[in-house]
Amino acid sequence: MRIIIVGAGSVGRYMAAQLSKSGHEITLIDNDNKAIGRARLDESITVMFGDACELDTLARAGAVNADVVAAVTGDDEDNLVISLLAKQEFGVPRVVGRVNNPNNEWMFNEMWGVDVSVSTPHLLTALVEEAVNVGSFVRILTFEHGRTQLSEVTLAEGSPAVGRQIAELNLPRETTVVAIVRDGHVVTPTPELNLLVADEVLLLIGGDGEEAVRRALVTSRES
Amino acid sequence: MSLFSRRISGTDQQTTVSDFVRIADAPFREPTTICGIIVRMRAQPGEGPVNLEITIEDPSGTAVVVWTGRRSIGGVGLGRRIKIHGVACRTPRGATFTNPAYTLLPQH
Repeated sequence: MRIIIVGAGSVGRYMAAQLSKSGHEITLIDNDNKAIGRARLDESITVMFGDACELDTLARAGAVNADVVAAVTGDDEDNLVISLLAKQEFGVPRVVGRVNNPNNEWMFNEMWGVDVSVSTPHLLTALVEEAVNVGSFVRILTFEHGRTQLSEVTLAEGSPAVGRQIAELNLPRETTVVAIVRDGHVVTPTPELNLLVADEVLLLIGGDGEEAVRRALVTSRES
Repeated sequence: MSLFSRRISGTDQQTTVSDFVRIADAPFREPTTICGIIVRMRAQPGEGPVNLEITIEDPSGTAVVVWTGRRSIGGVGLGRRIKIHGVACRTPRGATFTNPAYTLLPQH
């Protein structure tokens, strides 16, 4: 795939290196000479100096043929402008925007051409929550503009799901159990699988199924 | 000349029969002009992204047009003939234009 990454900071350079290793064609853009200099050390990546908030820069980088544009600068305003230009002027199929300040997260949606937003502070909060909370409902990731979420519940003693089969949970229609992590091992969630205390249940929840999932898996005290 | 500057110049008012392509023939990822009748309109109510989304149709097919940041545009209504100039992106719903320039055309 042809991927344009804007922002040659540590995030952008790391992404470029990893994606290039996986065989993708990467163009990295930044308007800071120092960052560009560091990025040039990796010869497998095309590095371009320029302001990606300008149409011409994106055009020179080949946005018209790009499969993905990732705006990962440290500036939310720039990321939004780049996302909108990529979507509106070049019809890029997948635009990824990095959220730096969580207060700005609400803008990173289709209104600004963003298909996928990644908020590091939000992700960190979710992971910390996931690490310390047993029994509560933790949202790990949301995608499709928040319509679908990957969530996790570690079953506490007294959870209504303990001792029951997955099929008996009556989960909402748009919800699916994607995996159970039991004693550090991934268990395939068959309908007949009996759930035990301390099972980490990973679910994909679409639509407004969250409340029903909470009722099925979380003890009433915790929810 | 980029699409951007063309839009700002605002001179795209004349419509002749030959200056647009059939929706089914519209190329992806390059500036193009299509023409059709608005057969569906959708504005998202409540919170969330404020978008106006319309579907336009010509005998060859349909295309989706999205204008961001607004819920309505004066003159853009069901049954209206409209000319769209912008860049089409391939999506599961077919060709989708984001924030294209538009010209309302006289009714038949």
